[in-house]
Amino acid sequence: MRIAYQVVGQGSFDLVFVPGFISNLDLHWEDEGYSRLLKRLSASSRLILFDKRGTGLSDRVDTRHLPSLETRMDDVRAVMDAAGSGRAAILGASEGAPMAMLFAATYPQRTRALVLYGGYAHFHRWVMPPERLEAFIETAETSWGTGATLPNFAPGRVDDSHFTQWWARFERLSASPTAAAALARMNADIDVRDMLGTIRVPTFLIHRRNDARVDPDASRFLARKIPGARLVEISGRDHPIWTGDVDRVADLIEEFLTGEPAVADVERVLAALLVTRIYDTAKLGDRMWSERSLHFQETWRLLVGRHGGRAAGTHAELMISRFDGPARAIRCAAALREAAQQIGVASAQGVHVGEIEMRGQPVGLTARVTMQLAAHAGRGDILASRLVADLAVGSGLHFVDAGRVSLDELDEPVPVVLATSEQHLEPACRPKAKSADPAALTARESEVVSLIADGKSNAAIAAELSLSEHTVKRHVANILLKLDLPSRAAAAAFSARHAGPDGP
Amino acid sequence: MLTKTGNVDGAAIKKAIEGRDGKLLSSFYTDDALVRVIDRNNPPSKPREIRGRAAISTFWDDICSRAMTHKVDTTVTEGNNLAFMQACAYPDGTKVYCAAMVELKNGRIARQTVVQAWDE
Repeated sequence: MRIAYQVVGQGSFDLVFVPGFISNLDLHWEDEGYSRLLKRLSASSRLILFDKRGTGLSDRVDTRHLPSLETRMDDVRAVMDAAGSGRAAILGASEGAPMAMLFAATYPQRTRALVLYGGYAHFHRWVMPPERLEAFIETAETSWGTGATLPNFAPGRVDDSHFTQWWARFERLSASPTAAAALARMNADIDVRDMLGTIRVPTFLIHRRNDARVDPDASRFLARKIPGARLVEISGRDHPIWTGDVDRVADLIEEFLTGEPAVADVERVLAALLVTRIYDTAKLGDRMWSERSLHFQETWRLLVGRHGGRAAGTHAELMISRFDGPARAIRCAAALREAAQQIGVASAQGVHVGEIEMRGQPVGLTARVTMQLAAHAGRGDILASRLVADLAVGSGLHFVDAGRVSLDELDEPVPVVLATSEQHLEPACRPKAKSADPAALTARESEVVSLIADGKSNAAIAAELSLSEHTVKRHVANILLKLDLPSRAAAAAFSARHAGPDGP
Repeated sequence: MLTKTGNVDGAAIKKAIEGRDGKLLSSFYTDDALVRVIDRNNPPSKPREIRGRAAISTFWDDICSRAMTHKVDTTVTEGNNLAFMQACAYPDGTKVYCAAMVELKNGRIARQTVVQAWDE
C-alpha cells in the first residue's frame, strides 16, 4: 500500500493536514482557495499533506473490504515517519477530524496540538441521518464526476462555474464512483464519541456557524467532551475548509499554533484594479447572454492570469481583477476587449490605481471608483483615471484625454483618459493590396505595360509610341502606383498574368 | 546536563545538535536569551525572534522531533563569540544549511543569530 504525500514549507514546526471526504494532492494547487490555504499554512509550518488510502494519488482499496478508521489513522503515522516528523500538529478537516482525534488519542507523544475544522464525532447525529444518507449516496453514485455533490458541501459556490468545474474534476480525480459511495458508507459508521475524553493534547476547534454539511452542534459537543478544548465559531455556510473566508481560518490556526496573532488584517497594498463589464446586455436575448457571458467570464479568468493578475471576484455583472502595475491592467483590458468581440459581446472597462486591502475581495474606495469608471465607459472603451496614464509612462501605451468624470464619494471630478489600441511603428499588417485591376489603367498605360512586358526600355517605348522618354517614365510610375507593384519586372509579370482577350 | 560551572563551547554544541538532544540544547541558554532566525520566511528586516528559555526549548524540541540528520562541521570561538556551520538533511534528501553566530554571557548563550537556507 502506497500513500501519496507532499511536504511544503520550512516552518519551525510540523503540521499534518488530514483531509476530509476526498482529496487529490495535485488538484488542490489548481483551486485558488485551496492553494491559498496551503500557502498560508505552510508559511509558518512544515506542512505535510497526503491523500488517504483509496483517494487521490494514493493506492486504491478493495471497496468490498474497506479499511477501518484505525487503519486509516495509522496512515498518518506512516506518512509522518516517511516525512521524518517525530511530532506534529494535526489539522483534521471534516471527516479528517475523527481520524485526527483518534491519532491524538493513540499517539499523544507525537501530537504537538490538535486543530479540528468542521469536525464531528458521530456521523448520523451531526451530518446526516441514516434515511438521508441513502439518497445522498445514490446521487453521488449516479452523477459522480459531474459536480452534483457540490450543493451538499458549498452551496455558496454553486453559481461559480469555474469552481463547479473544478469540483467535478475534483470528484473524478479523487475517487471512482464506487469508491466514493463506499467511502460515504464507511464515513457514515464513524462514531468516536467514547474516546473524546482520552485526548490529552491542546485542542482547538473551528466551525462555521451555518455550515451546510456538518451541524455546528458537532463542534460544540467536541468542545464539551475534549478536555481543555477551545471552540471558535466563525461566520459562513460553505463547509470545505478551502472555501469561504480561507484567510480567517488560516489566521485562527496560525495564531493557535504559533501563539502569535497572524499579521494584522488591514494590510494595504498599492494595486491596479480592472473592472470589466459586458456592455449593452439588453440587446442579446437572455439565453444567448447567459451563454456568452459565461464564456466571457472563463476567458476573463484565463486572460487575467496570463497577464499576471488575479481574478479578485465578480460583483453582480462586474468582473474585478487586480494587477501589480497599471500597464499590465491596461494590456489585459485590451486583450479582453478583443476576446469579447470574438465571443460576440461588447465590453466596457474601467482601470484605476490605489490602495486596497491585501486580503479578500477589493471592496474599498479604489474598487468603487474603478467600478464607476467601468459604468461610465462606452462600448469597447477602456476608461482609466489620469493617474493610470501618469504611472504607465514609458510602457509604450497610449492614452487620449477624455475630460473629467464626476463620481459619487469624490468631491472633485476625476480626470480620465481612454486607452487607445496599441500603436505600432509599422502597420501591424500591410494594408490590403488594392485589387490590382488592369481596368484601372488608361489605354495608353496599358500599351506601355505590354511594351514593358516585351522587355523594352523606356527609350524604346518612347520611340515606339512617339512620346518623350520623360512622359514614358511618368506613365511607368503611375502604373506601378495604380497596381501597387514594386518594379518594372513586376509590372511585366502582371501584364503576362492579365493578358486579356484583347491584351498584348 | 550542563553543570553550573561548565561553559558552552563548540564541542558541547556539536554533541547536542548531532545527538538531537533538545533538553541539553535548551540548557545552554540564559533565561532571557534571544534567538533570531533569518531565512526565506523571515527576512532580515523582520527576523523571527524567539525569546526566553521556554520558547527556545519548544523551538529545539520541534527541530529535534524531526528525523533529520545534523552535522556541525566548523566551529570557531573567539572570546565571547562562537560561530558554527550546520548541515542538515531530511529523510527524503532535502537539505538545510545554517550558519549561526552565538554571543556568550557567563558561559551561556545570551544571543544567537541563525541564517538558514534549504532545498526548494
